[in-house]
Amino acid sequence: MDRRNFIKLTAITGTSAALTACGNPEHQIIRFIPEEDLVPGVAVWKPSICPLCDAGCGVIARVMEGEAEVFRNGQPGVIRMGLVKKLEGNPDDPISQGKLCARGQAAVQVTYHPDRLANPMKRVGERGSGQFAAITWDEAIAELVGRMDALAAANDHAALALLTRPRRGRRLELLATWLERFGARRAVGFELFSDDVLRHANGMSFGTTQVPTLDLERTRYLISFGADFLGTWNSAVAQSLAYGRMRQGQGGLRPKFVHIEPRMSLTAANADEFVAIRPGTEGVLALGLAHVIVASGLRPATAAGRAGGSVDGWASGLADYTPDQVEQRTGVSAARVERLAKEFATYGPAVALVAGAALAHTNGMFHAVAVNALNALVGSVDQPGGVLFTPQVSAPPATRPLGEILAAGAVPKVLLLDAVNPVFASPASWKVRETLLGVPFIASFGSFIDETSVLADLIVPDHSFLESWVEAAPESGSVRAVPVAAGPAMRPLYDTRSTPDVLIDVSRRLAKPLSPALPNTFEEMLAEGASKDAPLQPPPPDPPIAYADPHFDGDAAEYPFHFLPYASQSFLDGSLAHLPWLQELPDPLTTGMWCSWVEINAQTAEKAGIHLGDVVEIRSAHGSVRAPALLSPGIAPDAIAMPVGQGHTTFTRYASGRGANPIAILAPVVEPATGQLAWSATRVAITRVGGPDDSLIMFAGATRERPEGTHGR
Amino acid sequence: MATAACEFASPGRPSGTTAGAVASRWGTSPVFTPAHASAGEAVREFFGVRPDARQPFDFSHQIHLSKGAFCTDCHAGVEVGPVAGIPSVNTCMICHSQIATERPLIQALTALQEKGLDLDWKRVYGWVPQAHVRFDHAPHVRAKVECSTCHGDLAEQSVAERVVDMNMSFCVNCHKARQASNDCLTCHY
Repeated sequence: MDRRNFIKLTAITGTSAALTACGNPEHQIIRFIPEEDLVPGVAVWKPSICPLCDAGCGVIARVMEGEAEVFRNGQPGVIRMGLVKKLEGNPDDPISQGKLCARGQAAVQVTYHPDRLANPMKRVGERGSGQFAAITWDEAIAELVGRMDALAAANDHAALALLTRPRRGRRLELLATWLERFGARRAVGFELFSDDVLRHANGMSFGTTQVPTLDLERTRYLISFGADFLGTWNSAVAQSLAYGRMRQGQGGLRPKFVHIEPRMSLTAANADEFVAIRPGTEGVLALGLAHVIVASGLRPATAAGRAGGSVDGWASGLADYTPDQVEQRTGVSAARVERLAKEFATYGPAVALVAGAALAHTNGMFHAVAVNALNALVGSVDQPGGVLFTPQVSAPPATRPLGEILAAGAVPKVLLLDAVNPVFASPASWKVRETLLGVPFIASFGSFIDETSVLADLIVPDHSFLESWVEAAPESGSVRAVPVAAGPAMRPLYDTRSTPDVLIDVSRRLAKPLSPALPNTFEEMLAEGASKDAPLQPPPPDPPIAYADPHFDGDAAEYPFHFLPYASQSFLDGSLAHLPWLQELPDPLTTGMWCSWVEINAQTAEKAGIHLGDVVEIRSAHGSVRAPALLSPGIAPDAIAMPVGQGHTTFTRYASGRGANPIAILAPVVEPATGQLAWSATRVAITRVGGPDDSLIMFAGATRERPEGTHGR
Repeated sequence: MATAACEFASPGRPSGTTAGAVASRWGTSPVFTPAHASAGEAVREFFGVRPDARQPFDFSHQIHLSKGAFCTDCHAGVEVGPVAGIPSVNTCMICHSQIATERPLIQALTALQEKGLDLDWKRVYGWVPQAHVRFDHAPHVRAKVECSTCHGDLAEQSVAERVVDMNMSFCVNCHKARQASNDCLTCHY
C-alpha cells in the first residue's frame, strides 16, 4: 500500500468497511440491447434548436455512446445508447453563429433532470396534492379522446382550451389547426415578459407587428431605454455578438452606448453612460431628445413619417417637451438632454431601443411609439446600423390572452397545458390557481410538475427537445428569415411521446375524427416546409398617442417605493429555475445564487437600518414577500428591485421552497391596449423583519450557504 | 449502518410514480449525481480498486478464434475509435441466428434478444481515473501493434483475463522500441 492510499484508508476506515460489505448492486441492473450502432469513444455533433426562449438559437449537440438509466416497456434498466453530452451554438446558424448563452448551455439538463416525468400519469390524490399514478399511453390517450368526445357530443366545442407559450413556428400552427378543426377557440397564449406592447407600437409606427432585429455591428451611437439586450431581451446571443463587434470600433471610432433605466442592470453596467430615470417617463426623454433635434434644425420633424404621426403633438414640434420640462418630469438634467440629443443626431448611424421595464407601465405604449419616432427621425429604421424587421415567411397564428379563460362564465371544461406556468408567473390577485381549480378536467403536456401542472388530472409528458423533432421561426436576430427544423439528437430516455404527435393521434381517434385530417406526424408536417399562405398583414392605423402619467398601484404615502421586478439572467420568468447549473450561476451584478434577494439603494437602506443579508418584507397592496436585502449603489433611492424566477412552491427538488416570488405581489394593472401585465407599476413598502438568516447566498463576499438543515432557505 | 448503506445502494425507482417527491432515481444521494451508481462504487473508485471482471457466462475467445473469427468482427470500434467496444447480443446473433442454434447457451441468447435484453459484459482492462491516461486503440492498430501485445494471446484463453500488467513502463518500453512519442501529453491529458 502506498502512502496516498494509507492516508485515504485511515480517513474513512469505518465507513468503507460497512459499504463494501453490500456487494455490487450495479451487477443486478437489467441491461437492454442497444438500438443503434455507435463507434464508442467518438463524438458526433448533431443539430438541434434551443427551446428555452423565443430567440430560437441553432445549437449542435455532442452525442457519444454512454450508459443511461431508461425505461423500456415499463421496466427500468440500463442501455448503451447515444447520449447528448454538451450543447454549443451552431456555427452555421445565422442567429447563434456558433455561440450560446449560459441558459442554452444548461438546456442539456432538461433531458437528464432527475425529476423529469418519465411516463403518463393520472391524478390519484386531491387536486394539487401532487399524487399521481402511472398509467399506459393507451389509457392516457383514451382519457383525452373521451373528454373531447364528451364535449363534441354536448356540442360544447368551445369549452376546450389550450394554454401555451405563443412561440412562433410550425408547432403553434399545428396547435392552432388542431383547435380550429375541433371547433374550439384560438389557443390561449401566456408569456409574462412578452413583447406585445412593443409589437403593437411597431405596428402603429412602422406597420409591422414584429420585434426588431438590431444591426448593432454598424451602429456608432446606441441609446437603450431599458432594453436588456445583452441579457434577457429578444435575441440575446445574436445581439451580444453584434455588440461585441460594435465595441471593436469602426474606422478608429469607438461607438458610444447610453443606457437609460431606473436600475443598474447587466446591460446598463456595460454602458458608457448610465442615465437613471424616473420610472414610467422613458418616452418623455425620447421626445425631449426629438424636440432638441428638431428645434436645433438637425432634422426636420417630417423625417419621422408615419412613426412621427403616431405621437401626439409631433407635427407641431413637441412644444411640451422642452429640455426644462423634460428635466422636471424625468429627473434627467436639461443640459444632459441637449447633449444626448445632439450626440444622437450627429454621430450616426444612431439607434434607440426600448423594451423591458420601460414598456411594463400603464403608459408603456407611449414610450414605445416615442422611441420609434426618435429612430425614424434620425433615419435609423431599415438602414445599416439601425433597426430592421426581418421579413417573415408567414404570420404566426393569433392567440388570445389568458384573461379570456379567467373571466367568470368563460372558464373552459377541458384545459390542455402546454408547458406553461401562469400560476407562478402571474400576480396572485389574478387568481389563476383558484380559477384552474374550478376547471373540470386539466391535462398537462409539460415534462415537469410545476405550480400549474400539479393541478392537472392527466399528465402526458412530452419528449425533451433533444429527443424529438424541433423547429423555430425566429422573428429577429438575423437579417434573413430563418425557419429551422432539426431531428432528434438522441433516442427518448423514457416512456414519453412528442406532444404534436399525441395531438395528431387524438385527432384520429375521436368519435368524429378531425377533418380534413392532419398530417400523419409532426415530422411529416415539417417536411412540407413552412407555410406561405398567411403573409404578415400591416395593422390598421391607430390614432396618435399622447403622454399620460403612469398609474402606479398603491398610495405613495403608504407604499413609498417603486417595485421593479426584473427577468433573472438565469431563470428568465422562472421557467428555468429547475436547472441546477442555472441555480449555481451567480448573477452577473450581485453574484447572488440559489436564492432571492431585494436590491435596495445603500443610502435608503442606511436610513431604514437595513444591512446586507437582513431579512426584509416587501409589502404591496396585494400581498407581501420576504427575502434578504442586498445593498446596491446602482438603484434609484425610491426604488426596490427583485429578480424574478425563485419562490417556486412545486417545481422539482432544486427550485421548490427556494427564495420568494415577486410576481405574486404585483398589482393587477395592465397596459390597456394590449392587456399585458404592467409589471413595473406597483408601489411597495419595505420593513426590516430580522437579521441575516443565511438565506442570502453570494459568490462574492462572506455570506455563504451552510450545510443542509442549518440555513433558513 | 450496514443496512442503511445497502438501501442506498439499491437501484432507484421510477420517479414518475411519485411525482414531486424527492426520491433520487440514482438512489445514492438526495442530490443529482450521476457519477456513481452506488455508494460502494464510489468507495471502490476512491481507492482505485478494480474488481476482477465477472462475466455473465464463460465466453470462450479460444473457440471463436479457432473457427476463424477476427478480433475486429466483434470489437468493431478498435480500428476507428479510441474504444474497442464490447459487443451486444445483436452482434452475437449476426452469426448465431444460423450457427450452433441447438446449443442451450445460444438458445438462451436468442431468448434474451427477443426480450430486448443485453448481457452485462464487464471491461477487463482499464485505468483508474486518477491515472489520467487516455488510450486510443485506432492509432495502435494502424501501427500494426498486435492485439496480443497488450491483451495476451486470446487464442490460448477461454474467458478473457488480465494477463498483461499494463503499467507505465510497459507502455513506455514499447513506445521507445517503436520510436513512438514518449511525451507525457501523448497519453496523459
